[in-house]
Amino acid sequence: MQDAVLMSPVAFAHALRKPVNGEVNGMETALSFDAADVEAKRSQTLSICDVSNLNRFGVKGPQAANWLQAAGIKLPGTTNSWTPQDNGSLVMRLGNTEFLLEDQPENDLTGMLNDTAVNEGGVHKVLRNDAAFIVSGELTPALFSEVCAIDLEGATLEENRLVMTVIAGVSATLLKQTLNGQSVYRIWCDGTFGPYLWKTLLGIIEEQGGGPVGFNFYYKLN
Amino acid sequence: MTSRIAKKRGEWINRDKPLTFEYEGQQVQGYEGDTISSALWANGIRVLGRSFKYHRARGLLSFANHDVNALMTDGEDTNIRADVWPVSNGMSLKAVNTDGGVIKDKNKYIDYLSPFLPVGFYYKTFYKPKRMFPFWEDKIRKAAGLGEVNFNYPRNIRPKRHAHCDVLVVGAGASGLSAALAAAAEGLSVILVDENLQAGGSLSYDYAGDQSSADTLHALLSEVEANQNIRLITDAYAGGYYTDHLVPIVEKSGITKVRAQSVIVATGVFEQPPVFRYNDLPGVMLGSAAQRLVHRYAVKPFEKGVVVTANDHGYRTALDLASVGVDVVAVIDMRSSGAGQDLTQKVKDSGISVHKGSCIYEAVPSSNKLGIKEVVVCPYDENTAEADTSKSVRLSCDGVAMSAGWAPAAALLYQAGTKMAYDYDVEQFVPAQLPEGVFAAGKVNGVFDLKSRQLDGRRAAAEAASYLGKAVQLESFKAASVNRPSHPYPIVNHPKGKNFVDFDEDIQVKDFINAAKEGFDNIELMKRFTTVGMGPSQGKHSNMNAIRILARIRQLPVEKIGTTTARPFFHPTPIGHLGGRGFHPHRYTAMHQWHVEHGGEMMEAGVWLRPAYYAPAGAGLTASEAVQQETLAVRESVGMIDGSTLGKIEVFGSDAGAFLERFYTGKFADQKVGGSRIAMLLDEAGVVVDDGVAVRMAEEQFYVSTNSSNAATVYREMQRNVQLWKMQVTLVNLTGAMAAMTVAGPKSRDVVASLTDIDVSADAMGKGAFRTGKVAGVDARVMRVSFVADLAFEIHVPYKAGLHVWKALMEAGKASGIRPFGTDAQRLLRLEMGHHLVSHDTDGLTNPFEAHSESLVAMDKPFFIGQRSLKILEKKPLNKKLTTFVLDPDFHGEVPNECNLVIDSASQIAGRVTSISYSGYLDRHIGFAFVPPEHSHAGARFQIRTDSGAMVAATACKAPFFHLLESRGE
Repeated sequence: MQDAVLMSPVAFAHALRKPVNGEVNGMETALSFDAADVEAKRSQTLSICDVSNLNRFGVKGPQAANWLQAAGIKLPGTTNSWTPQDNGSLVMRLGNTEFLLEDQPENDLTGMLNDTAVNEGGVHKVLRNDAAFIVSGELTPALFSEVCAIDLEGATLEENRLVMTVIAGVSATLLKQTLNGQSVYRIWCDGTFGPYLWKTLLGIIEEQGGGPVGFNFYYKLN
Repeated sequence: MTSRIAKKRGEWINRDKPLTFEYEGQQVQGYEGDTISSALWANGIRVLGRSFKYHRARGLLSFANHDVNALMTDGEDTNIRADVWPVSNGMSLKAVNTDGGVIKDKNKYIDYLSPFLPVGFYYKTFYKPKRMFPFWEDKIRKAAGLGEVNFNYPRNIRPKRHAHCDVLVVGAGASGLSAALAAAAEGLSVILVDENLQAGGSLSYDYAGDQSSADTLHALLSEVEANQNIRLITDAYAGGYYTDHLVPIVEKSGITKVRAQSVIVATGVFEQPPVFRYNDLPGVMLGSAAQRLVHRYAVKPFEKGVVVTANDHGYRTALDLASVGVDVVAVIDMRSSGAGQDLTQKVKDSGISVHKGSCIYEAVPSSNKLGIKEVVVCPYDENTAEADTSKSVRLSCDGVAMSAGWAPAAALLYQAGTKMAYDYDVEQFVPAQLPEGVFAAGKVNGVFDLKSRQLDGRRAAAEAASYLGKAVQLESFKAASVNRPSHPYPIVNHPKGKNFVDFDEDIQVKDFINAAKEGFDNIELMKRFTTVGMGPSQGKHSNMNAIRILARIRQLPVEKIGTTTARPFFHPTPIGHLGGRGFHPHRYTAMHQWHVEHGGEMMEAGVWLRPAYYAPAGAGLTASEAVQQETLAVRESVGMIDGSTLGKIEVFGSDAGAFLERFYTGKFADQKVGGSRIAMLLDEAGVVVDDGVAVRMAEEQFYVSTNSSNAATVYREMQRNVQLWKMQVTLVNLTGAMAAMTVAGPKSRDVVASLTDIDVSADAMGKGAFRTGKVAGVDARVMRVSFVADLAFEIHVPYKAGLHVWKALMEAGKASGIRPFGTDAQRLLRLEMGHHLVSHDTDGLTNPFEAHSESLVAMDKPFFIGQRSLKILEKKPLNKKLTTFVLDPDFHGEVPNECNLVIDSASQIAGRVTSISYSGYLDRHIGFAFVPPEHSHAGARFQIRTDSGAMVAATACKAPFFHLLESRGE
């Protein structure tokens, strides 16, 4: 197989664990780290999954909200909140004038936006390079209590709230959503910090009896 | 001999689980739940350690986590507090700070020398003659001290966690439990923490012979356990108070940083000993320690003893002791008034005689000085603290329980900024003015009666709930009056001394008197001179008596003396706990793994990991050889460096050009699209803080680079100024989103051209030109740069495609002998080019005139950051100038290092070397140095002083340095 053009920022941190790799959205991705039943058990205890391969689109500027709405995007009403689109894509409002969109594997809203020309001032597309993780399991509060100073057990993440915080010393964006019926936490950080954050979180997760799960665990690709 | 008594209600030991361990070579039996001290005491072992200074035998004192004369070593662990540490099977314990064992300690002779070792003696001796100090230091360190540090101690990671709650209640005694329940009843989330293994405080041991108050404890604990709003943490202490109610809770497993909305301090009090001669003998202990031994561990403190007291608590202790069969010979009450009638009668009914207005003048040691055989009791004058020895009585006993009063466990309150006042009704410092959101309850608040403590806890909870916005009825209550719980001066003077105030540091009454005589009569000075309160217990059983003694010496009321400063952590905390797991974020470029696989020697560059040079396995290259080879490849063929760490910021908007004009020193408003300019940033003082390149990508879009370590700072400063100047500008930090690599060298154009659709020919892409297009099929931004070589291309691509493009370029350059080069070669290459590095060749004072950067400053602009300062500076003569220099041809002496000084003809410091390297390509040592302006012109000679002091001649020289080759005819 020809090398994928795109690499997850976390790819080399995965390598030691010899995952089954595949290409998703043109990016080499760890599809699974272990047997499905093992990963399922981990996801109930404490697990982390690299989903950096999901397509993202960033836009910023005083007219960004109008431009997105004109493109038919449903926007969160307030800053630091998020809303899903009908097709499952996430729209996160990072600030008054800044948005981050993330697709599910089966849709391409971000591709459509990337192809949409910007003809007005005050709208600027933002190149994204996020390391993105899904963290799940009943021990997640214990994990976050060690790596994050803010209270994530209360109402902080309820009602589609988005939290910008520091996780293990790295600036990160955090939300809580339901995925395949399971309550999970989503984390995004600058991709250059991705390997560090992956290794740090995974180290604690494994101490607590959890482990990594592959992309297929949530998105069932082959 | 065993001192274990029959099973008691509420005891903390599990008699179904016996344990065996070793103490000083002796097999000892205990039970699960025993502490080391309780198990030893139950086995009749009374000497638990030696004192810090005089090596006196010591036993139990507080039995409350402050017995620092009973510290143990168990294998690799040391300074284990025997009074609270649980025993386990197989422990092999030794007392610390002994030579030859705790019984036969060879250093016990120091006790005989004590008259010659007055307080402060080591401040005045041993330092002369100076050469002898190491000898004495060695002796003192061996004779004094605690456990030996084990440098091979394994690193056990202790996580630091965060927790949040509405109300943090510190102390789970009667008031703390009541406060927690009342707060939880208001729907507030509560964390309740207690340093003991089990909650309850004095409800679990202070019974006065009647365990009915255990019912109260049982009821409170049952409610707490059933309450979902309360999280109870035991065996953990609140280590300190920090701003905004941040309180670290220290458990054996690690620290939890609790961020509370409000804090209720119900920490109780520390019992204080009366001070009399030989009050430190094994068998003499605090009354509460005796009660804890009896009720928590079912151990008799002694067989036949006396209770010396200066409050009612001594009577309660006597009743508890009598209830388990201890032969209590007498209660010796230092107060002439004695206790209340009921309590006195109860004691007398138990067959115990009461001696009011009496004191223990001295305890008499057994013949081996490892215990007590009798006490000398005398009438006592409370006003003069003198005993009437003419009427002394000797009472035979093997133990003494002491109760003289209490000191509030108020460290957290002090740290929170509470104003304390001395309350003469209870003879104790109590909170007078609490900070916002902080509340106090129970004994620390001066409330001693049990029912009142519970009410006080509820009152504090109601106030906390009200503070947090709950509509609660605030009701005041009056605490039931009690006999003064503390004595104002429980000291018995003795001409022969050894009446100990501080057991950590062996400090006696006369030490305070001597300190005051020497002028150290302020509490903070006295603390430092006598070292009172500076031992591991941090004065918990000594500071209050020290304050009382100083007040008496100075004839001042106690409140005028004040207290010493309470700093966190209030209890010794292992360094490993404080360090925790330790998070040290690193940034990785997209090509990181490639560098590692190709021999990259990775180094930290700020938070980034970068290859310093490449030494592939088997190549047998030294670092220096690798750097020279990489440099040569760039000069003669082609090399490539990973430059992803450069700061990359996009500046959009109608004011983008105008913004950069104000932000940087140069002009950008008239910059052509597709061109680049150097962007130098100053601070308000005119100091150079960064330089990069600004590319105009479109009329309203710039792409600006910064130094690797400055990206976040420059971006933040841009954001700040956009708001300050109210300009129509949007900023995007692309530092982590873009990978960058520079292909440099005479063959770089060929390599890049083979992979791109951009016309990179000399005509189409001159120096400073910027183009966008595809490189290896990936959208790329390409710039002609000349930082490391005359011909070089900086290629920026999305991070996730970075490795793909890097590999493609390496493949394309194979035929040309392309080599990756690291930061070490980059530094040499830019030096050969004569480019200085901001923050390396410049410092926090360097302005553009000193750094030869005048050409980058457009003083005719209306405004830019630092311009006002430069206008002042340009009128002043320069003191220094950064210049390039070269050492003489064929130089073979000691090579100067960076920071070596430039020395003028008068042997004065005239400058310093900022960079220096040997260039194999030029076969010369070249560098940058700050020199006086008159020595900065080409050809000027100056001297550099090396590390060894040798002087090396250098010549200022124009850059780039390649003309040196021409002068050699190459």
